[in-house]
Amino acid sequence: MAEVEGRPLLEREWIESARRGDASAFEELVHRYQEIAFRTAYLIVGDADEARDAAQDGFLRAHAALGRFREGAEFRPWLLRIVANAARNRRRSAARRADLALRAFRDAASGDAAPSPEALLLAEERRGELLAAINGLRVEDRLVIALRWFLELNEEEMAAVLNCPRGTVKSRLSRASARLREAIGEVADD
Amino acid sequence: MTDERHPRLEDRLLDLGSSMAFPATPPLSALVADRLRQPPRRLWLGRPVGRALALALAATVLLVGLAAAFGLGLGGLRLIFGPAPSPLPSVVIGPGLGQPTTLAEAQETVTFSLRVPRLSGLGDPDLIYLAEPPAGGAVTLLYRERDGFPADPATNIGLIVTQFGADIAPESFEKLIDSGVRVTPAKVGGVAAWWVAGGEHFFFYRDAQGRVVDSTLRLASDTLIWEERGVTHRVEGAPSLADAIRVAESLQ
Repeated sequence: MAEVEGRPLLEREWIESARRGDASAFEELVHRYQEIAFRTAYLIVGDADEARDAAQDGFLRAHAALGRFREGAEFRPWLLRIVANAARNRRRSAARRADLALRAFRDAASGDAAPSPEALLLAEERRGELLAAINGLRVEDRLVIALRWFLELNEEEMAAVLNCPRGTVKSRLSRASARLREAIGEVADD
Repeated sequence: MTDERHPRLEDRLLDLGSSMAFPATPPLSALVADRLRQPPRRLWLGRPVGRALALALAATVLLVGLAAAFGLGLGGLRLIFGPAPSPLPSVVIGPGLGQPTTLAEAQETVTFSLRVPRLSGLGDPDLIYLAEPPAGGAVTLLYRERDGFPADPATNIGLIVTQFGADIAPESFEKLIDSGVRVTPAKVGGVAAWWVAGGEHFFFYRDAQGRVVDSTLRLASDTLIWEERGVTHRVEGAPSLADAIRVAESLQ
């Protein structure tokens, strides 16, 4: 990792260097955000190869557009918007909808104390039920839930990916959550 | 319902998120670095792209004498004079122009600064299309009938403004024009431009694989073409060269 006096370069310094043509600085930015970019693209296109190509397209477009990046702005939502646009274009070109079925690992036990086998089984069953309910939602609802809870994007980042105002993100997330609650038979606790 | 046996939905989603199985992230930093190290692709500079390109190059050689006679040569754009393709493509607005989009989304997608005509009375475009390829994107702004820009009866379109980046990966753009066409040198804000008038002309480009892509739109109307700051522009449908230049010089 590039360093100045022993400390990692700040993101904005990478961006500045990349704008001046420093390819290694941009490579650092790609390395930093490649996972979130790839997963965002994957949620949109629903295919790993397409997601790889879309994320790559997004990074190349971002590189070409660095001159238009507003100084002081957050880089991650700016980048994710570009990646999401690239992914949507790929999905349109493929003339198909992302039919993404989300999967979970089996060994994701949480908590401090070692859970009993029964508790593990119960937790596993609950995850399975929840995941099945999410996979049964409309693609749009599934995407907004996955962006928020699986990629843990903030509102600004979600707005960038979904290409909508932040207020719309709130309402879309609220509606998707309500439909998910309905699907699993849960009553919202206000 | 937030006790341990019935955790809140949000907590359950967070827990589930921690166990989600995403495909392994590919080595994008290496892939992107490789791409950035590659020189800009220019098809006619020797990149092996197969038989289609070889045929295209052969056609270029055959037609270059005619083209040279007009002294044309825009970056990312090649004007080739020859017979119109047969059968003639139908007048269709849609797939060949890409996908409908918004100005904001188009700007986020393309790799150049998108500009929009601000000529008084023109207003905002009625339809906006974004196409890829070409690499970097191509944006087409469509205007229905406007004062001074009557609609083409076949397409119901009065004016078309197209922009595509010619600096990132300029593919071979070709304009096939049948005999009888007139090409007039012009200026757009001091930049060299060409007014292609009369006859029927067709706009094609060749993508990185050497495939001919038909822009599909054929107005059979006159077209102003120029390249500015790495972006090739077309204004089609203006009734006269002066009208086309007014539109062109209003781009912001």
